[in-house]
Amino acid sequence: MRVTEIPVEGIPYDQLKVEKIPAAPAYAPRDPELVAAADRALVVNPDRTCMPLGAMWAVLGVHRAIPFVQGAQGCTTYVRYTFCRIFKEPATIATASFHEDAAVFGGRRNLVEGLRNLAVRYRPEVIGVVTTCSSEIIGDDMVSFIKAARQNLREELGAEAADRIAVVLINTPSFAGSHVEGYNRAARAFVETLAMARNTSSNRVNIIPGLLYPGDIREIKHLLREMGIEATILFDISDTLDAPLEPPQQIPYYPPGGTRLAEIREMGNACATFALQADAGGSGARWLERKFGIPAVAGPVPVGVAATDDLLQHLSRFTGRDVPAALRAERGRLVDAMADTFHHTMMKRVAVFGDPDTVAGVTRFVCELGMTPVAVAAGTASKRFAQEVEAAFAAYRELFLDTPKVFNGGDLFEFEEYLKTLPRLDLIIGNSKGVDIARELDVPLVRVGFPVYDRFGYQKRPIVGYRGAELLLYEIVNAMLDHRYPDDRTQQL
Amino acid sequence: MEALPCLPGCGAPTIPGEVSSRACPYYGARWLLALVKGALHLVHAPVGCAYYGGSVRGKAYRMLSTALDEKEIIFGSEAKLARAIREAVRLFPEAGAIFVYGCCAAGLTGTDIDGICTAARRRTGRPVVPVGCAGFAGTSQGDGHAIAAAALVRFLVGRAPPDTAAPYDVNVLGEFNNGGDLGEIEDLLGRLGLRVRCAFTGKADITALAGAHHARLNLVHCRRTGGPLAEAMAKEYGIPHLPVNFFGLAATAASLRETAARFGRERMAEEIIRAATTEAAPVLESVRRHVTGLRVGLYFGASRVGMMAAAFRELGMDVVFAGAQFGLAEDYAAAGAHMTVGGRLKDDASQWQLEDFLLRERPDLFVGGTRERFLAHKYGVPFMVFPQKGKPYAGFNGFVNFARDIVKALRAPVWQFIPGRWAHVLGD
Ligand code: SF4
Repeated sequence: MRVTEIPVEGIPYDQLKVEKIPAAPAYAPRDPELVAAADRALVVNPDRTCMPLGAMWAVLGVHRAIPFVQGAQGCTTYVRYTFCRIFKEPATIATASFHEDAAVFGGRRNLVEGLRNLAVRYRPEVIGVVTTCSSEIIGDDMVSFIKAARQNLREELGAEAADRIAVVLINTPSFAGSHVEGYNRAARAFVETLAMARNTSSNRVNIIPGLLYPGDIREIKHLLREMGIEATILFDISDTLDAPLEPPQQIPYYPPGGTRLAEIREMGNACATFALQADAGGSGARWLERKFGIPAVAGPVPVGVAATDDLLQHLSRFTGRDVPAALRAERGRLVDAMADTFHHTMMKRVAVFGDPDTVAGVTRFVCELGMTPVAVAAGTASKRFAQEVEAAFAAYRELFLDTPKVFNGGDLFEFEEYLKTLPRLDLIIGNSKGVDIARELDVPLVRVGFPVYDRFGYQKRPIVGYRGAELLLYEIVNAMLDHRYPDDRTQQL
Repeated sequence: MEALPCLPGCGAPTIPGEVSSRACPYYGARWLLALVKGALHLVHAPVGCAYYGGSVRGKAYRMLSTALDEKEIIFGSEAKLARAIREAVRLFPEAGAIFVYGCCAAGLTGTDIDGICTAARRRTGRPVVPVGCAGFAGTSQGDGHAIAAAALVRFLVGRAPPDTAAPYDVNVLGEFNNGGDLGEIEDLLGRLGLRVRCAFTGKADITALAGAHHARLNLVHCRRTGGPLAEAMAKEYGIPHLPVNFFGLAATAASLRETAARFGRERMAEEIIRAATTEAAPVLESVRRHVTGLRVGLYFGASRVGMMAAAFRELGMDVVFAGAQFGLAEDYAAAGAHMTVGGRLKDDASQWQLEDFLLRERPDLFVGGTRERFLAHKYGVPFMVFPQKGKPYAGFNGFVNFARDIVKALRAPVWQFIPGRWAHVLGD
């Protein structure tokens, strides 16, 4: 069945909006042969970055951990800058400071001396060694370098002090994947290096959140608390990248919180591992499953009603805990909000872009709201992403005004050019990289995902869980209302 | 006699394992070239470099990348680069030039970027400019500034035919129009009857660059970025250069005087200076009452550390720490000359050293960039962002903005809510 556009409160959709401003006059249609990213050698406005960023993001979620980047300085500084801009927090990341000599002779000296300097000056408990395109191309033998560095540390600090510092190697050759894969590899490297099993069965679960923001992780913790479940959250950035302003009395500054080393070691005893974002963290969960037989649940990210239901059901199944009334009430409030607003969301055309897991989750949610996802784009190509969005489409297809177009990989140029060909678009949901597209198309942008650097507080506002979905829903509806909705129609929403 | 702080060593590589704010030459090159209007920026590297280079000084730019993958790293990426350039020209035919940045991966795999650019130049009939700025090709972004400056002079400047009707044209080198600084400077020079032909790179499109060599004088604002350009243009086209500083009343006045003297317009300069200082005086007087004697720490990119130290001093503040990510000895000498006895100068200060300063010295104000900003906040120290956003700090009007912003940073009520001993910051 195909539904034509439903008039809302007597006004047909087409008349709800004042006439659209045409694309900027400077816009000339591009060579159609080269619009599809797949046909190009050139990438224009990429919506993905390189692997090391994901790994650094992960390491910063561990208590008293510092990423050590085996490469030239830019790779470190650019990422620090990116994190500072998103989280409005300091980000402590050390550089191996590659120069001409490292490029010629390899990075052994940089690593051995570097770990020593880092350990002595900053006294971290965990060092996450993150490789880059440079060190991978040079062919640095990181395993043996780290051994040498350890030996060196022992001589200098004494065996006991040296052994207290955990060193985790994360191989992230930038050219072999995006930041999503970098996080994924970090998850695997951490459990592989640190997790142990003591054959004691426990009721704890492991959660690998993926590239979610502090607000999301807080919301996950809230769900777990309400369920009465104890959990290890691997890469818990909820405090480390959202720390209170309470001047420390000593240096170096370490933010509070973060996953404790001891907790990571215990991850081999959990009763299940949930990788909330399958592409970012799934391989850590799968490794724990293979090695210790801990069941792994990878995705979907709990955005919207169905996906949150899913997560709670799984949690309940593995731990034997029931979903408490408090969470049922939260679900009820979300559903109530959906009922209150559906006349504003039904049949609205929306485009979603960003990291694959997040986009898949948001896409499913907008389907639940009765919107038509006309185009969905993952900056990082992913098989799972394609499957997840197709599954969401299959469930809601009869409501769609148009057939959704899926961009799996590709760049924002391709996405933008496609959106320009659409007869109408009501909303874009994506990260801050979409600001120009939204302006060009004169469509509101709801900011979600990585990175959001041009608004305050978005990293603290959850999109996961029932409460997160409710907040996201309001954001979606209000963005459309703010955008050229006739004022005299807003008196009685 | 006051002992000056001793000058730090400069240009040494960062020691491995440090948390440094320095970046790579690619970052430096982007910083300089991003503003060139009408040019495309193509980054030959894995996709990360382009992604990060997409925002410079808080502004977003369209970035092109060859997004190298594993197989191209192993089997070579030259064909892909050549193809990418062809596609770039077809997709954006309006582009006046293409900068091709060769980053770490390209440098390590020995890609012949120069050769490919030369061929592409011939084929496309427009400048295709190789910018070899691999991350390890220098000790900091400063080296990238030099690389970019050399590329500008070699491939873009001087392409316009001779033009003799410009006796009052100047260029401003090392000026990036942060918060509209260039507008203030242009306005002042305009009142002297001088025209800014090209600012590197705050006002630089392909045409302005092509004719920049017709200017009669090069004013060097930021020495670190403008210095190499000035040298190159002096050598190539015989254009004299003059170091200037438009931060602070005294410095702006001195710079105007010297510039005017080169064109025989001293009287005009004096008039401008008299009017402007009289106008600024009352505001500055009231600001001084709030800030005199307060202690400030600075941490900047490079040259501006010296200029800003003087500007803070002019308001009666004590500069107790001045650092730069990649300063030159003369920058530090300039900063040191305006510092308090016992003040510290640091090149490439690490996060640890900054923390040490913030915790132990408890400055009343810290000034720096994004990375230092949130660190200072954690220590409860009022912070001022530089380069500033949204309004000029240069020139006479800019100095008034600057002074007002200091007071805003200091007097924000937030500081009184910080637990412990930080309330003293509020002053009176
Ligand atoms: S250090 Fe190298 S790989 Fe990293 S951002 Fe700079 S040029 Fe790119």
